[in-house]
Amino acid sequence: MDELLSEFVAETQESLEALTNVVVALEADPSDRARLDQLFRFFHTVKGSCGFLNLPRFERLSHAAEDVLSDYRTGGAVPDPATISAVLAVMDRIGELCVAVDSGDSLPDRNDEHLIATLRHCHEVARATREEGKARADMSPAGGDAASRAAPASRTVRLPLVLIDQLMNGVSDMVLARNELARKLRAQGRQPETDAAFERLSACIADMRDTISKTRMQRVDRLFMAIPRMVRDLSRELGKTIALGIEGGDVEMDREMVEMVIDPLTHIVRNSIDHGIETPAERRAAGKPEAGSLRLSAYQSGSQIVIEVVDDGRGIDVDAVVAKALAAGAVSERDVARLSEQERLDLVFAPGITTARQVTAVSGRGVGMDIVRANIERIGGVISLTSEPGRGLAISIRVPLTLTIIPGLVLNAGGLNFAIPRSAVIEILHDSNPAVSVARLGGALTATIRDTRYSMIDLEEVIGVPMAQRPGPRSLMLVRSASGIPYILAVSQVENHEELVIRPAAPVVMAAGIYAGMTLPDNGQPMLLLDAGGIAQVARLPLVAETVDAGAAREDAADRRAASYPALRFIELTGEERAIRLSLVERVEDVPVEQVLTSGGHCRVRIGDRLVPSPHPVRADQVPPGARVVTCLRIRDGVRELCYPVHAVVDISEVPVEMDLSARYGIVAGLVLIDGRQVEVVDGFALMAAVDGAAAEEAARPVRCVIADADDMWNREILAPLLMQAGYDVRWRRQDEPADEGDVLLVTAGEQDAVAAPDGNGPDGEKAVIRLRAHAAPAGPADTSIYRYDREALLGALSSFDGERRRA
Amino acid sequence: MSTLYLFARIAGTAVALRTDEIEAVVRLKEVSPVPGVPPHVAGLSALRSRVLTVVDAATLIMGAASAAPPWPDTGRYAVMCDVGGHSYGLLVDGVDDIAAIATPPLPLCGRVDRAWEPHAQGVVENDGRSHFILSIARLLDQCGSAQAA
Repeated sequence: MDELLSEFVAETQESLEALTNVVVALEADPSDRARLDQLFRFFHTVKGSCGFLNLPRFERLSHAAEDVLSDYRTGGAVPDPATISAVLAVMDRIGELCVAVDSGDSLPDRNDEHLIATLRHCHEVARATREEGKARADMSPAGGDAASRAAPASRTVRLPLVLIDQLMNGVSDMVLARNELARKLRAQGRQPETDAAFERLSACIADMRDTISKTRMQRVDRLFMAIPRMVRDLSRELGKTIALGIEGGDVEMDREMVEMVIDPLTHIVRNSIDHGIETPAERRAAGKPEAGSLRLSAYQSGSQIVIEVVDDGRGIDVDAVVAKALAAGAVSERDVARLSEQERLDLVFAPGITTARQVTAVSGRGVGMDIVRANIERIGGVISLTSEPGRGLAISIRVPLTLTIIPGLVLNAGGLNFAIPRSAVIEILHDSNPAVSVARLGGALTATIRDTRYSMIDLEEVIGVPMAQRPGPRSLMLVRSASGIPYILAVSQVENHEELVIRPAAPVVMAAGIYAGMTLPDNGQPMLLLDAGGIAQVARLPLVAETVDAGAAREDAADRRAASYPALRFIELTGEERAIRLSLVERVEDVPVEQVLTSGGHCRVRIGDRLVPSPHPVRADQVPPGARVVTCLRIRDGVRELCYPVHAVVDISEVPVEMDLSARYGIVAGLVLIDGRQVEVVDGFALMAAVDGAAAEEAARPVRCVIADADDMWNREILAPLLMQAGYDVRWRRQDEPADEGDVLLVTAGEQDAVAAPDGNGPDGEKAVIRLRAHAAPAGPADTSIYRYDREALLGALSSFDGERRRA
Repeated sequence: MSTLYLFARIAGTAVALRTDEIEAVVRLKEVSPVPGVPPHVAGLSALRSRVLTVVDAATLIMGAASAAPPWPDTGRYAVMCDVGGHSYGLLVDGVDDIAAIATPPLPLCGRVDRAWEPHAQGVVENDGRSHFILSIARLLDQCGSAQAA
C-alpha cells in the first residue's frame, strides 16, 4: 500500500486515540478552550492531509467538523453536549474510514451526509437556542462493524527519537566494551574456543550497530513518493500535460532530513508546474512538445545529497523578477545595476517576490522562494537556480547527508586533535607547496594560492594554545566561511579522514563560538568539531563580500577560467599520468577489487546494488599484490555515470584549454604541459561516448520474449525474471494475439512434446521458437529443446535469434 | 521527610549535593582539554560512549585565581549529572559520605565568603559538621552565565 497513505492512517488513528479522552473531558467542561483547540487542530490536520491524498470523504467530514468547531473557537460560545456527541460521531466515522482505507476495503458511503447534517443541525439548534438538550438528534453512531476488519500487512510503530538515540548509545557502549575485551583476550594469548565465541559476539554487535544506524536512515526516493500524485492532480487542474521523470538515488539520508526537505521540494515542484511549464497551446506556439517535461533526480555528491528539479518551461523572467524586487523594495536601482545576471536571478529568493502573473490557487500566495531557501538553509543546505529563459529552469538543492553522522577530517593543532566537517573544506595544501605563498602584513596573514588571495589564520592563535614545534610542513586548509567566502585555516597537520558521530556540545563549550559539536572517535578520546564559519567570526577575519569593482575582477577571473580549467591529475592503472576535467569527477572512491566485474566484454563496477559501467577492467597484475581496493573516479555528465578505476590520484591542477591535439587517440584528447611534464588529457566526450555506445548497444537488444504458458509457475517465477535480468522484454502470450515478427517464443516442452506452435510456425521451431524441457537429458537425437536450467544454452539461443534479426 | 545528600568537598569546603540531581560519582583518569573556553571548563572526558563536559567546581566558585592542581595520576573524583540534556562531570576534591538527613535545611549563619554566597542555598549538618547545600543545576547554569560575563 502507498506508504504515505498508511502513514496518514497511522497518524490519524493515533491522534484519534489520544483525542477520545479530550472530547470526553470537553464534554465534562465545555468551556475548556485548550481542549477545543486541540480538537480543532486535529480536524484541520486531517482535512489538510486528505485533500492532498485525495480522500474526499475524510475531507467532507473533517471540513464540517472544523467549520462547526471554528465557530465555537471564534464565537467564544460553549459547545453543548449534542454538538459534542455529533463531533464524536464524526470522529468515529473517520476512525472507521481509516480502518477501511488501511485494509483496502470500501466502507459503504451510507450516511456521511447524515452525520454532517446532524452535526450542522446540532450546531444550528445550539446556536439558535443556546439551550442544552434540545437537539438530541439521532446520532446513529456507526457501530463497530469495521472493528473486525483485517489488519494491514505491513505494520509500523513510531518511536520517539530519544529512544533510538539511547539505543545507539547503548550499542556504542557495547562496541567499546568489546574492544576492551578484545585487548584483554589478546593479552592472554590464543584460546581457540574463547576466541571463536568472542568472534561470534563481535559479529552480532557489528550487525546490531548497522541495524540501529539504519533506523535513522531512509532512502532518498521517499522524498519523491508524493510527487507523481501531486503532478497528476495539478496538471489536470491547470490543463497542462506533463511528462514526469524521477530518478531516485540509491543513497540514504537521515529521516529528519527527509522530513525537512519534503516541504521545500513540494513547493518547488508546484512552482514549476504552475509558473514554469506552459499550457499545451503556448508550448505548441513556442515550438516545444506539448507535454512539458519535469525531471526530478537525487544523487550523492561527496558528503551532500543533490536534489535537482529540472523543467523545460519558460524559465524565470529575470527582468520581471528585478521589477518585482524593486517594487517590493528588496533592492534599489543602484544595487540592480551592479548585480550580475545570476545575482539578479537570485532575487527570486528575496522576501515577497513571486513570478506568478496572477495569484493562483496552486502557488503564488506570498509563500515564496524565500521560505524555501530559509528551510533549506536551516538544515545546512544550499539552493541554486539555473534559468534559461524560454527553455527551462533547473533548481538544485544540496543538503548534507545526515545531521548526525558526517565525514570529517581529523586535524592536529598545538598538540590537540580536532575534527572539521569535510564538506567545509575545499582544499588542503602544504605550506611548502610552490603554488602557495604566505605573507604577513601588520600581523595579518594572507595566503595566495594560484593567484587568488585569501585571509589566513593559524588555528592555534584562535584557540590560544602555543604552536607545537614539529618537523614537516604545516597544512593549510581552504575552508568555507558562513558567508561562503573561503579563507585559509592553518593547522599543524591533517591526520586522517573518519566518519564521525556528531553530538551536541554543552552550552558553555558552544558559547566559545568556534565549535559545532563534539564526537567520540574509536580511540575513546573525545574530540571537538570545529565550526569553520564561527572561527572566521571569532578571529574577525575580514570576509567582506565582493565590492563594486569586483565586477572587473570577476571578468578577469572569467577570462582566466576560459584559458584554463581545473583538472584532476591521476595515474592510470597502466602507469601513464593523465588529467581529467575536475567538473566531470563527482567524487573519488575506493572500491573493493572484487566489485569490478567484466561480463560480455563490458566492464562494470558494482556500487551499492547498481552496476555502473566502467571504461576498462582492472587486471590482477595492475593492483599491488594484497591490495583489496582500487581507487575509482566516479564520473558523471549529469545523466550518465561511470566508474573509472585508476592507480592513484595525484593532485588538482589548472590545465590550459589549449593542448597538443596531435597526440589524440582513443579516450585521450591531447597533451598538455603541467609543471613541465607531459600529461595526457582524458577526453570526457570520448569516454562517455565509449561507455554510452556499449549501453546503446544493450538498449537496442531487447527482443521480445513471448512466453507461451503464463500459468506455469516455473515460467512465471524463474524464467521470466531470468530473461528480464538478461535485458529481454518479456511478454505473456495471449491466444488471440499472433506473435510479432522478431519475437522469440518460449515453449515448455511437456510430456507429449506439445509444441503446438501456433500461427503457422513449424513445430520444430524453424522460426523464433525456443523449446525448453524439464529433463536434463534430451529425449532423443532429434530433440532440439534446451534443458531449462541450462542458462548458457538458453541465453545463447536467444542471442543467436537476436543476431539473425539484426542481420535481417 | 528526609532528603538524601552526597557529602563532598569543593575547594576545601564541605558541601552537600542532593542525590536526585546526581547520576554517579566517577573517578576521571584524564580529560581532553578544550581550548577557548572559560577556565572552569576542565575539558571533555569519555565515560563509555558518553562524553562528559568536565567542570571544575572549585575554579567555578572561587574564580580562576585558584589555579587548578595538576591532574593526579590516580584521577579526580567527578560528580556525574545530566543538566539540560548534556552530561557533565563536576570535579570535587573528594567524596565523604551519603546520608539521609531528616531535618530541613538550616539558614546560612555568619559572614559567608563572597565566592560562596551566590551558590550556598543553606546548611545541613552531618556527623557533627556543617555542609553548604549546593544545587548542581544552578551551579552549572551559572557556569554558562559566568562565562558570558
